[in-house]
Amino acid sequence: MLGTFIQQTVNALTIGSIYALIALGYTMVYGVLRMINFAHGEMFMLGAYAAFLVLTVFVGDIGAVGAFGLTLAFFGAVIAVGFFGVGIERLAYKPLRNSTRLAPMLSSLGVSLTLVTGVQILAGPQPVAFPSFFPATRYDFMGGTVTSVQIGILVAAFVLMFALYTLVNRSRMGIIVRAVSESRPTAQLLGINVNLAISAVFFSGPLLGAAGGILYASYYGIMSPTMGAVIGLKAFTAAILGGIGSIPGAMLGAYILAFVEVGGTALLPLITNGVLGTEYRDVLSFAILILVLLVKPAGILGEPVSEESMVYKREF
Amino acid sequence: MKIAASLCLGVTLLATPGFAEEISVGLAAPLSGPQAYFGNTWHNGFKLYWDKLNAEGGVNGVTIKYNQQDDKADPREGTLVAQKFCDDDSVVIGLVNFNSGVAQSTLPIYEDCELPTMTFGSNPDLTEQGYKFMVRPVANDLANALLPAEYALQKLNAKTAVIVSDKQVFGQGISEIFGKNFTAGGGQVLDTLAVAPTDVDFTSVLAQIKAKSPDVIYVGAVMPQIALFAKQMHEQGVNASLMVPDGGYTPDFIAQAGEANVQGTMVAIQVPPMDASPAIAEFAKLYKEKYGEEAGPYSIYGYVHGQILEAVLKSTKGLSREEINDALHAVKVQTAVGELEFDDIGELKVAPSYLYKVEGKDFKLAGSK
Amino acid sequence: MSNTSTSPSVKPQASRLVAVLVLAAIVALAAATPFLPNYHIRVVNSLLIYILLGIGLNIVIGYTGLLDLGFVAFYAVGAYTYALLASPQLDLHLPFLLIVGIAAVLGMITGILLGIPVLKLRGDYLAIVTLGFGEIIRIVINNVDWLTGGPKGIARLDKASILGVEIARPVEIYWLLLVTVFLVGLFVWRLERSILGKAWAAIREDQDAARGIGINTTNAKLAAFATSATIGAIAGTIFAASQRFVSPESFTLQESVLIVLMIVIGGIGNILGIVAGAAILILLPEVLREFAEWRILFLGILMVVLIIVRPAGIVPRTFGPEKLIRGLFGK
Repeated sequence: MLGTFIQQTVNALTIGSIYALIALGYTMVYGVLRMINFAHGEMFMLGAYAAFLVLTVFVGDIGAVGAFGLTLAFFGAVIAVGFFGVGIERLAYKPLRNSTRLAPMLSSLGVSLTLVTGVQILAGPQPVAFPSFFPATRYDFMGGTVTSVQIGILVAAFVLMFALYTLVNRSRMGIIVRAVSESRPTAQLLGINVNLAISAVFFSGPLLGAAGGILYASYYGIMSPTMGAVIGLKAFTAAILGGIGSIPGAMLGAYILAFVEVGGTALLPLITNGVLGTEYRDVLSFAILILVLLVKPAGILGEPVSEESMVYKREF
Repeated sequence: MKIAASLCLGVTLLATPGFAEEISVGLAAPLSGPQAYFGNTWHNGFKLYWDKLNAEGGVNGVTIKYNQQDDKADPREGTLVAQKFCDDDSVVIGLVNFNSGVAQSTLPIYEDCELPTMTFGSNPDLTEQGYKFMVRPVANDLANALLPAEYALQKLNAKTAVIVSDKQVFGQGISEIFGKNFTAGGGQVLDTLAVAPTDVDFTSVLAQIKAKSPDVIYVGAVMPQIALFAKQMHEQGVNASLMVPDGGYTPDFIAQAGEANVQGTMVAIQVPPMDASPAIAEFAKLYKEKYGEEAGPYSIYGYVHGQILEAVLKSTKGLSREEINDALHAVKVQTAVGELEFDDIGELKVAPSYLYKVEGKDFKLAGSK
Repeated sequence: MSNTSTSPSVKPQASRLVAVLVLAAIVALAAATPFLPNYHIRVVNSLLIYILLGIGLNIVIGYTGLLDLGFVAFYAVGAYTYALLASPQLDLHLPFLLIVGIAAVLGMITGILLGIPVLKLRGDYLAIVTLGFGEIIRIVINNVDWLTGGPKGIARLDKASILGVEIARPVEIYWLLLVTVFLVGLFVWRLERSILGKAWAAIREDQDAARGIGINTTNAKLAAFATSATIGAIAGTIFAASQRFVSPESFTLQESVLIVLMIVIGGIGNILGIVAGAAILILLPEVLREFAEWRILFLGILMVVLIIVRPAGIVPRTFGPEKLIRGLFGK
């Protein structure tokens, strides 16, 4: 029993870390643009494909990739996707910055569709096997099983999130981004380069998303053109749960969602005496999301929407 | 219009015995999206056979044209494609719908316009609804889940099983049948767990299974879920024999799960080994020559469907949909997978099914029925 | 939103010409459809069902300004109502019109049930909760096998008939849909111009101010959800009757998103816009069928381009049916 408990906790932490890396991208974009970027899940997918491309083209044989090759693939891919994110913002969202709120959101849906289909055409619609970035070793620990891949993902995710947190809170760029998040018109009046802040967000969001994608692909051993859609939706849910726009909120939301999912799988059949099986796991997640929002309409760590801060009177 | 066309057809039939004609065959399957590989390779098997026949002048002078359409594995899209075939008078037979869910919505349309079809959806319900214009030239799920259950009980001496289903038409159907057969044979099903068809993480499900320590785990799902499940099962240290349905019969299964993680996994499919007979080996060679890749898991059935159509065209009285339907139901043909004929509801009288065991990078035949 | 529509600059004669042309095109297409091959009629039927769905969802998104991403739930409620009450599943075979009535009421109830908890929420939070609601309905349908057949769905639904006239062939379904779309469109168009419609517009423009001038925003929003859900459920019954098979696959999140896209690309808050949006998103992929995956790629790029070029949709909000009628009679 204890073994199962430990094991499920590690499982939840691993899944939660991957959700968190993606949820951060949603929340940061929302912070500066008040926009839900539906194409963000695709950055996650592109990260995995880009890393795979680097591995095959520049490193050669997938089977015999050394530490150097892996590092190169990882950083090459996340930086490339970061720049790609900035490019997409310029192309598809910037022209809509002063439009209705629905417009950039739907534009991002179009971007998402284009990217998924594009990858399907270029790389084929099938899932592809992805090499593992860490040697898979199994550790048995008080009856639970933990793999080195899970530990690697936890460490990598924590490092990345800590780096982001420090950047946002300590660096000059972080201050600029936070100022724009607070109020874009005011920041603009103060002479802050709003475009720079937005570009910074559209660089770091996809970068983290891509990192999540690579970790994910190497953990599960596959990647597919549609992998962004499913995980993207979960991460988006997590970001809303934590309070969209809030960086700690996104992380908290991601871990809560992961624990609810794992807990649902483990406990739903037990609690309901088999009436509700594991197939109701997602119902439980959404039900908890709805309940949380009813109590705290702006998410767990989100700031309540006061009338003054409503930059837009129209919701959409 | 239709009357005029059939009149003309009648006249030509009378005028030219041994009718030099071109007919169309409607091919529908997912050709885009995640299942595109299965649809395309299935159709390729059919084309492989008929490209050759066409080049040789067809059967009794009848050549065929392909009308290939994408149903996207979506029932709504499927009905549009079905209607498209129905409206096209030159289409006299269909090779339709890879997915049972799509077939459910298209079969009534084919029935209405009296277009005979060879359906590939394997859900047992399809033939139970009294359709007169369909046959299923492939073993249904009843047959496919019987062999693994028997094997588990008799050869693996399994007493207990846990069943995992993806709650889709195929996955749920086949895992229920496995469960029934397993229980009927004296085994015990400890638990049935459901996962979402989009899930990639089975660690939490596996932790639950591990606590129950079953002898056998049957996963009623498709790729890539079964590969992910196999990989995570091994990584989480769950020791049980894994059994999966036909989706696992592809080199991708071994590649995506990792070779070490799938050793000993049992895969049940309607497809005989590629070296089972000279005819099949010949097919595999031709396929590779033509398409530059290994045949897909269902390509052999496309090829077999081509052979069935050849026999139908040899025996049919004429080229109307009705006549072809009669010939299709009456056909008895020696194919690459053995002799096939249909019973009165359009089901195969003898439906071959096979069970493979993963050894190294290969699938080794472990049993057949 | 100050619609930078072209209408003010267009001369009355020109706008009259446009109106006559648009009307003539719609009438000509509607009249020609029954004579097309069945495949084309089915495509048009599909288009009409989406137009009906668009009209329904538009009440919440376009008129009231709330983003609902779970609309497909109501569509599912309607479809499954027909499937359960007119099939061997429960061995019930009720008449079509009665089922439409039952579905409409059930749709309205689910609409209100969704509406009550989400009234407090705003913007994106509302969007995700409605999305969650849609997913919950789909997952439940997929899992209560004893009632809905689970993933297998329900097959062999009865052929619909109204007063003894059988409605099953594509062309018969077409007439049913055409009449329904016309009636529902007329109803919604009148509703938009009613006092309730004005309340919706006020909520859309500024919720707080709307409350300030004495609009009962709670009731107005609930009315919007209920009306929209009713229309969604009616569309669902017709869909089920025309396909004669329902399964959870038809009610995914993607469908909800597709309907939202249709509305926004076509022209938000405008019935004619919905027609245009549906034509692009439903007809275009069908016309480009030969291009397989390339058509989806093209559609994605087209979506981005259209939204950037015309963020408020192809058809401006001001160019509604009113304009057409006025144009026609030269007022």
